[in-house]
Amino acid sequence: MSTSAIHTHAARWGRDFVFNLAGVVTAAVALMLWTLGSIVSLVLAITYVGLFAGLATLLAIRWLARLERRRAAIVLGEPIEERYRPLRDEPRSYAARLHELVGEATTWRDFAWAAGWGWIGPITSILAAGLWVAVFGMLSMPAWYWAIPGGFDVGILAIDTPALALATTAAGLLLIPLCGVLVRAITVGELTAMRFVLRPRGEVAASPAAAAPPALGPPFELHVSLSLLAALVVTIVWLATGGPFWPVWVWFGLGVLVALHAVALRSWAARGDAERAFRVKAEFCALIAGYLWILWALSGAGYPWPIWPMLGMGTAVALRALVLYGDRLPWIDRRALVQRVDVLTRTRQGALDVQAAELRRIERDLHDGAQARLVALSMHLGRAEERLADQPEAAALVRRAREDAGLAIAELRDLARGIAPPILADRGLKAAIEALARRSAIDVTIDGDCDRRPLPVVETAAYFVVAEALTNVAKHAAGAPAHVRVTQDADDRLVLEVADEGPGGADPHGSGLSGLRSRVEALDGTLSVVTPPAGGTTVRAELPCGR
Amino acid sequence: MRAVIVEDLALLREGIVALLRENGVDVVAQAEDGPGLERIVAGHKPDLAIVDVRLPPTFTDEGLRAAIEARRRHPGLGVLVLSQYVEPVYTAELLSCGEAGVGYLLKERVGEVRAFIDAVQRVAGGGTALDREVVAELMRARQAGGDAGGALGSLTPREREVLELMAEGRSNAAVARALVVSAGAVEKHVRNIFAKLDLPASDDDHRRVLAVLAYLRAGAG
Repeated sequence: MSTSAIHTHAARWGRDFVFNLAGVVTAAVALMLWTLGSIVSLVLAITYVGLFAGLATLLAIRWLARLERRRAAIVLGEPIEERYRPLRDEPRSYAARLHELVGEATTWRDFAWAAGWGWIGPITSILAAGLWVAVFGMLSMPAWYWAIPGGFDVGILAIDTPALALATTAAGLLLIPLCGVLVRAITVGELTAMRFVLRPRGEVAASPAAAAPPALGPPFELHVSLSLLAALVVTIVWLATGGPFWPVWVWFGLGVLVALHAVALRSWAARGDAERAFRVKAEFCALIAGYLWILWALSGAGYPWPIWPMLGMGTAVALRALVLYGDRLPWIDRRALVQRVDVLTRTRQGALDVQAAELRRIERDLHDGAQARLVALSMHLGRAEERLADQPEAAALVRRAREDAGLAIAELRDLARGIAPPILADRGLKAAIEALARRSAIDVTIDGDCDRRPLPVVETAAYFVVAEALTNVAKHAAGAPAHVRVTQDADDRLVLEVADEGPGGADPHGSGLSGLRSRVEALDGTLSVVTPPAGGTTVRAELPCGR
Repeated sequence: MRAVIVEDLALLREGIVALLRENGVDVVAQAEDGPGLERIVAGHKPDLAIVDVRLPPTFTDEGLRAAIEARRRHPGLGVLVLSQYVEPVYTAELLSCGEAGVGYLLKERVGEVRAFIDAVQRVAGGGTALDREVVAELMRARQAGGDAGGALGSLTPREREVLELMAEGRSNAAVARALVVSAGAVEKHVRNIFAKLDLPASDDDHRRVLAVLAYLRAGAG
């Protein structure tokens, strides 16, 4: 034990001692006040004097109660809140003052304390103070031995040699911690009772501590200490009376209660955490099983009946464990699942890459193949048309064919634009969004940047999200400016936000965004629409940049 | 007129060359990629370069950048960019390097031989040729973005047609031909348009085109 810990203990035990020493005095006063005051007041109640006696008794008890609160505050540093209705100053009849006092709940709390402490206090505080006095006596035994020539008898032991006196000192030293703990227990009990009785009730402000979970703090310590004390007392009683060793049953009962208390506190602490709660449950079952076996042993070790409740509890625990830890069982191969997810993630990414590459290839092929051929066709038809100037009917046919070719080219152009607008492929997302902003009917501001170009498939999805969001703004929030923000977050995700200052309250599922959502989700991204009724809509998409 | 052409698809390149030669345009050199443009322009000093936007090696906007760079190095060179799609950003960049002698046409316009040759000659002569899709895009942007007072909306359908044709870069005579009306009627429409859009009147075809383009582009952001 470190020096500071010894200091702390010594200080605490010293305070306990002083508290109980003072308690002896206050208990005596309380007993006197209560008995004398009650008796005198009641006896004199038939006369007017009884009124004064009653008033004086109640005021004296109030004084005692305030003194008691101070005893707790000053000696133990555990203040107890005090709240009396302020006494009015103007002179009034004694009857009115008595009436006022009687009508105040705190008066009766004080009264109850005076009564209770008057009876219990002498026992507990004398016991507590006496324990320390006994220990002091044992410690100072050599001095007594020296002072009283020829030795003396302390009841159970005659101190007649110096060695015995010194041995008593040694025993006293060993008893200090036990005495400290026991007196501590008594003191905590007294304080708890004092708090319970003397603390004002009613409009107590809800303190945050009230909601805090019970810790393994004073109440538990108190429980343990009192149990130890009780165990000690019954053992002493057994030593004095003899007979079969019955205190073992008391020990058993006290032990069960302490264990249950501990389990309750631990399960409270474990609430919300399934694994911890499970461990507490398992411990509890083990504890019960242990006690059942002790019980079995104490009751003569006959038929081993505890195996049946153990079987039941074991089954319950095993089932719970299966639910909780089932995925760790060897035949459910978690690693295989992880690998499978890995493979799926990779192959999906691969599939999307291939798809994106494929789309761009198709677009290229259209450009260089079908579109180019149609342009060439249209050109040759144009040249033919020129040469058919003298045959208007044939020229009209050729012209018609050229116009059809022109329509086919326009359709292919739209198709290619739907795959990805040329500026996106050529210059990247920011330029493409700027082009969108320029063509939009609304005011669009753009900020943010992305240093590195995401995968084409991601870029394209991002582009269409912004395009669709801006179209929606123009449609539903006409005139409201929109703001586009493009950033790359720390996890290398592309984050797009399109916010407008329109009326809000848009349907996040009704717009063309739900189609885009599946496109974004296929890329492992998310798309959310925040549209408070108060106004303003924000479409936010997050997309992994890829690879 | 001396022209060069940069187009990576031989099929198209050869067809366009044949078409141009039939119509009296002297194609002096051909190339297939961006760097090739600079080489042949420096070597042949042509009046006009016809350039595809998408060229090797990157197949992105290589041709556009090469065309802008060529104009910067060779003032007076007409540049006609051909593309398979309309991208307003690219049009804006091309026009930003000076409206005189630039053009942006969809490739399929080569089938409209007369109009195409007309555009080629116009660009080579310092005029402008914008595809009608580009003009439509400009009109849309102008109306969405900054058509203050609804000036465009106040045009009659006919005036709107005239405005669009002018924005493509056509002269009054060409507009009259395209709409099959008299030159006088076009004159009248043009005066009305300029009054409604509050543009400075001018007798010069090209200046009118520039005024209209400037007006439309001001709203396109």
